[in-house]
Amino acid sequence: MKKLVSLMLALAMTLCLGLALAEDSSIAVCIASEPDTLDPALNSAVDGATVTAHLFTGLSNWAQDENGALQIVPAAAEALVEPVINEDGTATYTYTLKSGMLWSDGQPVKSSDFAFAWKRAASSALGADYGYMFEGVKGYPDELAVETPDDSTIVVTLNNAISYWDELLAFPAFFPVREDVVANEAWATDPSTYVCNGPYTMTGWDHNSVITLTKNPNYFDADSIKMGKIEFYLSDDANNMLANFENGSWLLIDDIPTSEMKRVSEQYPDEYVVAGQIGTYYVCWNINEEILPEGCELTGEEAEQARAEIRKAVSLLYDRNYIVEEIGQAGQVPASSFVAMGMTDADGSEFYKNAGSAADFDGYYNVSADAYEANWESAVETLKKYYTFDEATQQVTNFPSLVYLYNTSEGHKAIGEYLQSVMGAAGINMSLTNQEWNTFLNTRKQGDYSIARNGWLADYNDPICFLDMWTSGSGNNDVQFGRDANAELHMYSIDLTPYGSDLKVENGTWAETYDAAISAIKSCTDKANRYGMMHAAEDLLMSTGCITPLYFYTDPYMLSSSVHGFFANPLGYKYFMYCTVD
Amino acid sequence: MDSKMAYYILKRIVLAILTIWIVITVTFFVMHSVPGGPFVGEKAISKEAQAALEAKYGLDKPLMEQYFTYLHDILTKFDFGPSLKQRGRMVIDIILDGMKTSAKLGVIAACCAALVGIVLGAVAAIRRNTVLDKVIMVITTAFVSMPSFIMGSFLLIVFSVKLGLVPANGASAGGLILPVITLMLYPMSYITRLTRSSMLDVLGQDYIRTARAKGVSRVKIIFGHALKNSLIPVLTYFGPMLAYIVTGSMVVEQIFAVPGIGRQFVSSITNRDYTMIMGTTIFLAALIVIMNLITDLLYKVVDPRIDFK
Repeated sequence: MKKLVSLMLALAMTLCLGLALAEDSSIAVCIASEPDTLDPALNSAVDGATVTAHLFTGLSNWAQDENGALQIVPAAAEALVEPVINEDGTATYTYTLKSGMLWSDGQPVKSSDFAFAWKRAASSALGADYGYMFEGVKGYPDELAVETPDDSTIVVTLNNAISYWDELLAFPAFFPVREDVVANEAWATDPSTYVCNGPYTMTGWDHNSVITLTKNPNYFDADSIKMGKIEFYLSDDANNMLANFENGSWLLIDDIPTSEMKRVSEQYPDEYVVAGQIGTYYVCWNINEEILPEGCELTGEEAEQARAEIRKAVSLLYDRNYIVEEIGQAGQVPASSFVAMGMTDADGSEFYKNAGSAADFDGYYNVSADAYEANWESAVETLKKYYTFDEATQQVTNFPSLVYLYNTSEGHKAIGEYLQSVMGAAGINMSLTNQEWNTFLNTRKQGDYSIARNGWLADYNDPICFLDMWTSGSGNNDVQFGRDANAELHMYSIDLTPYGSDLKVENGTWAETYDAAISAIKSCTDKANRYGMMHAAEDLLMSTGCITPLYFYTDPYMLSSSVHGFFANPLGYKYFMYCTVD
Repeated sequence: MDSKMAYYILKRIVLAILTIWIVITVTFFVMHSVPGGPFVGEKAISKEAQAALEAKYGLDKPLMEQYFTYLHDILTKFDFGPSLKQRGRMVIDIILDGMKTSAKLGVIAACCAALVGIVLGAVAAIRRNTVLDKVIMVITTAFVSMPSFIMGSFLLIVFSVKLGLVPANGASAGGLILPVITLMLYPMSYITRLTRSSMLDVLGQDYIRTARAKGVSRVKIIFGHALKNSLIPVLTYFGPMLAYIVTGSMVVEQIFAVPGIGRQFVSSITNRDYTMIMGTTIFLAALIVIMNLITDLLYKVVDPRIDFK
């Protein structure tokens, strides 16, 4: 009898232990500070996207295949369908929702929830930063063509088929929300009112401290979710994050102090990860600022032609390898084009490798370390054409003084100082001025600068998100293309006829060429032609010399070697649902 | 309470309200004159969306109208409005949330600083010119001259990263230990030095000598006469100490990731979260004004000779 009792006791204990282990699988990480919002429609930050991607499921999802390659897979939708092309060129997609899907409060997920969420996110009344992600949908912004004939069918019509549409469906702005839930404006700030349809539910949000997610038993694919609990700690101090990583409290941190980069990469070679991130760090010139020497007789188109040549020459003075190795120190890649590394071309190769027309290097100029000397010489040759050159000092003497504007940060300052020193060596006097972030954005947007630091991160894997920002009317057109004096210049040429478009303009304005090219790209449905046009648009953009790419961003982070099954997508969202911890 | 004191308190309250009103007015107009806005971001939103948001939060109205609406809402409804950045959250909730932690941090740090400072100061005075006195003076001099961000980082590396004794995150259990120590070291050292010199001064007074001559015990002299009287100058330091703790906590909260109000204050300015800037400023101003009033009233308790005029 005693034996039996002890056996049963031992069995019970083992069971309890097993259960406890299963429930206890948890991970503590820190990706950023308190998110501004966890409402998927309003979120515009990468960290907010990471958290919402664990809480919601859109029609599609990012996933890893058995080889670890990333792919877009159907999630709430039964399948990711091909569009039906209508007579007017619009494209209609019809999706069927998986049956039996439930919200975290037990109510069924309906197609109308998706339709409501999309219309809400796109509406100008909501004013979401990412409302424009719905730009391709017919009726954008306030009359989206999304219909729901029944509770499980969604019919959406786009102005034309979009090659990256499946990827957009995995974007937080496309996640479903329920009308009765979001009627409460504070719904996304409190776990008790946070209703979601994803692998996790929010079980705690200690503001500015920690967000706790717990596995959602109502999730349709709950069996595949391995991690029981995720704690997103909130900190905005990279040093503090590192301290918590080093003492073992947090298993992933998404920010590393620049000054510690070198040490941690040597001390933790297996845990220091440099992931790709689709983004470009660049210098932008205000196209309407005069940089020709005083007394120069060139005017109008000729003057701008000269300025473009000079700006391109100045961009050759920078040693991008020095910048990434000595200043950035986070594995960044020297950039020779604006559309960032990580963007795929029509044939699946890297878009940036096919940019420009040079045979012996990628992009618009050669950024290899060996080419630097030749770059410098060619830059000086060009400068000699327009400025007085002092042979003794090997410097130009009458380049107007420039002011480099950057937002207050040690990293940007270091890069500014480097640019200042190399330009100084060529005789170009440039002073530095920094502004606090919000003021800086304002100054730059209004074109109240001559040369400024800039950066751009992709929202989805399509080069258009690097190109449509430079149309005359775009809110992100910091260079001021097609505005003020530049609007009057008839000097730009573009030929899209090789790509099945009628657009061929010689010596047109920015609006007649670049803006028109972007419209043509947006309405083009043939993949190869579309990418060809995007290369042509980038060629035109880079010919102005107003964009000086320095490097392609990377996303360095620390990931404990005890974590398995982790992955991040090219946009920097990090996925912990399939993780296990030793 | 005599009528003189009541009149004094009333006068101070009126002055306090006036001070806070000036703070509100200046902050409001300076804040709106700074370039940028709450809806300016790296990625521009459309003009329609911008207009919709401005209308939603009343930012499309003339500045004077916004100002009077704001004052009206505070006075009549104690309504500080919604945060413009943390969508869906009310400013008052964010402040109260952050305040819970900041108050805990500040009060513990202030109490520890006062307690340890007074004891160390008294010990140093009584054991004047001994090794103990010298050690206390050297250490406190070091702490007074060391900025909190250096002290904080140092403590973080030694006790949290290298020794792993305490968490590095202010939000976890025991996470406030290092922030409290960092925050209290400066005021503690200051109080130590203040108590020491004041106590030395008192110990040299005639009435102490008289007490000693009368055969009063040493313990009674120190605790019954000397300590109480030497605390008046220390008390005057409580106002500045509070100001130090409020501003110092912004740095300390940052270093240790403490979810307090200090971090909110700083980030609200960078974000141009107008309602949050106003809310936190008013809150901190009120706190300092009230604490100064309390300090002044405490003088009277410690030294009845002080007259309110």
